[in-house]
Amino acid sequence: MDLSLTDDERDIRQWVRTFVEKEVMPLEQDVLARERRHERGLPPEELKRLQDTAREAGFFGVLTPEEYGGMGLSAVMAALVEVELGRSFVPFRFAGDADNILFHANEAQQEEYLRPTIEGTRKSCFAITEPGAGSDARAIRTSARREGDEWVINGEKTFITGGVEADFVMVFAVTDPEAHKEGRTGESVTCFLVDRDRGWTSQQIDTMGEWGPAALVFDDVRVPHSAILGEEGKGFALAMQWIGKGRYLLPARALGGCERMVEMAMEWARNRVTFGKPIAERQAIQWMIADSATEIEALRWLVLSAAWQVDEGRDSRQAQSMAKLFGGVKCNEIVDRMLQVHGGMGYTRELPLERWYRELRLLRIYEGTDEIQRRTLARNLLKGHVSVRGHLG
Amino acid sequence: MNIVVCVKYVPDSQSERTFQESDNTVDREATDGLLSELDEYAVEEALKIVEARGGGEVTVLTVGPAAAADAIKKALQMGAHRGVHVQDDAIHGSDAVATSLVLAEAVKKATDGSPELVLTGMASTDGTMGVVPAMMAERLGLPQVTYASELTVGDGTVTIRRDGDTASETVEASLPALVSVTDQINEPRYPSFKGIMAAKKKPVDTWSLADLGLEASQVGLDAAWTTVVTFAQRPPRAQGQIVTDEGEGGAKLAEFLSAQKFL
Repeated sequence: MDLSLTDDERDIRQWVRTFVEKEVMPLEQDVLARERRHERGLPPEELKRLQDTAREAGFFGVLTPEEYGGMGLSAVMAALVEVELGRSFVPFRFAGDADNILFHANEAQQEEYLRPTIEGTRKSCFAITEPGAGSDARAIRTSARREGDEWVINGEKTFITGGVEADFVMVFAVTDPEAHKEGRTGESVTCFLVDRDRGWTSQQIDTMGEWGPAALVFDDVRVPHSAILGEEGKGFALAMQWIGKGRYLLPARALGGCERMVEMAMEWARNRVTFGKPIAERQAIQWMIADSATEIEALRWLVLSAAWQVDEGRDSRQAQSMAKLFGGVKCNEIVDRMLQVHGGMGYTRELPLERWYRELRLLRIYEGTDEIQRRTLARNLLKGHVSVRGHLG
Repeated sequence: MNIVVCVKYVPDSQSERTFQESDNTVDREATDGLLSELDEYAVEEALKIVEARGGGEVTVLTVGPAAAADAIKKALQMGAHRGVHVQDDAIHGSDAVATSLVLAEAVKKATDGSPELVLTGMASTDGTMGVVPAMMAERLGLPQVTYASELTVGDGTVTIRRDGDTASETVEASLPALVSVTDQINEPRYPSFKGIMAAKKKPVDTWSLADLGLEASQVGLDAAWTTVVTFAQRPPRAQGQIVTDEGEGGAKLAEFLSAQKFL
């Protein structure tokens, strides 16, 4: 078993590492200062500048296939890239990615939605969650009623990432109320591509972190039949596909942040003297560092193993859920410890620890809560779909 | 125009650097190394010249241990065409004089004895002596124009701007020449994704001292004219002095600055 990186993986990771150190990290103080003034940490034009610099060097569309102008990197490589990006709290990401389900769009829709999204000239959002339907997505109530060649959409969506900036939405609505009532979601839900100028509205929801999702309202929003993404009634499978794809990337990003925080805490512990000794010489501090480093390493391999299974075309859902769950839980423990090592300074807004503390809390909630991950993991095990021996069997 | 760029593989200046107890040389095992950042400017300038002239090759040359191949790789990823790595255990511990000898011989061999233009950085980020370019020029019999913050290649000449404390000089030399460039001359590009992929296929020659017709006795620690006598950890930063303003803060501040010879 060879667990080392290939030369390509090492070189691409090194490129991203250098980019983050030279271009992204220098913005950190500005980001903190702006956020202290309740402004957006990384203004869109600054993000665009960074993305353009990266694109000039070909770093664009990490997971976007080459025929669509992307890099078409492997899942393992994408995870390695995400770890490096996560080392800075600056909310930077490479341009050129698009929601996976847009790649299933027909040719006309690809021209209208997919390619402009990859180019960055259009912005998408994915809307399934509703005030009464989060983890239990089957409970959605937003409806679409057929009227001639049109569909009329009514309902509310909430916690929609990117909903404020998006100029079109992939919205999921019930198109067969009877089937829906009987629990046949495989036939009852349809996904529509809806431009903002069709009349849906959005309102930002303030959160404790940088994530600023939106609540969307659809009030008699009319779209032509051609707005359906995929097939009528087959939307739920698309939604599951969207949700399941790339779940391993979330803990990968958090992992990078945790690495950085442990480094910061070690630097602090070497220099902060109490009662005549650097606190790095105190066992209480050492154990926090040792536990955190061990958990980071365990998380690294959960993430990479899940990504590897994606690349191998295996059913990676169990591995992805484990990585997401472990990442959510452990990263929150780690940020708490590293903040503790910093003492009072860790609690201030002069250092980014409290920011990470707030931001990482989200990881236990969005894209499948800890509880949902555990439910999935346990069910798969108890029903015998997967073995506790993992993919090695 | 074919250009040779001399680069150095140095310990990462971001990490804790130290010396080996055994022979007082830089401990290269203790820290990761990389292409000296000051040399990236030379690579960039060479690429720009070749691109602007629409032809020619950039050869990147380094002298160093096996890991120094990384410095060549980085330059190849940026767009250089081929690499030359002089690697020989006997070179370990060489001073600037010996290094310039090895580099000069390698430049001759790489250009069949007739270099057109040799570029270097202004200094390495580890030794920071900045003398190797001048020594190489002397050994190669080339005019040396150093510390270029602007470089123009004309018809048989090279012209640079050299910025001093009080004035900028324009210096012209006939080609072939050796030019060292500063970190003001350009903004080194990032290697491109395609460049990273393409770099693996580019030719890199590895030469020993024997390949260059040199003897082990001409280089290395024993032949060095300079030696590290001793080394010590940098002392921890001393606590600053806090002046409490009780009405005469300004005077105390002036007193302090005057004592430090700032006033």
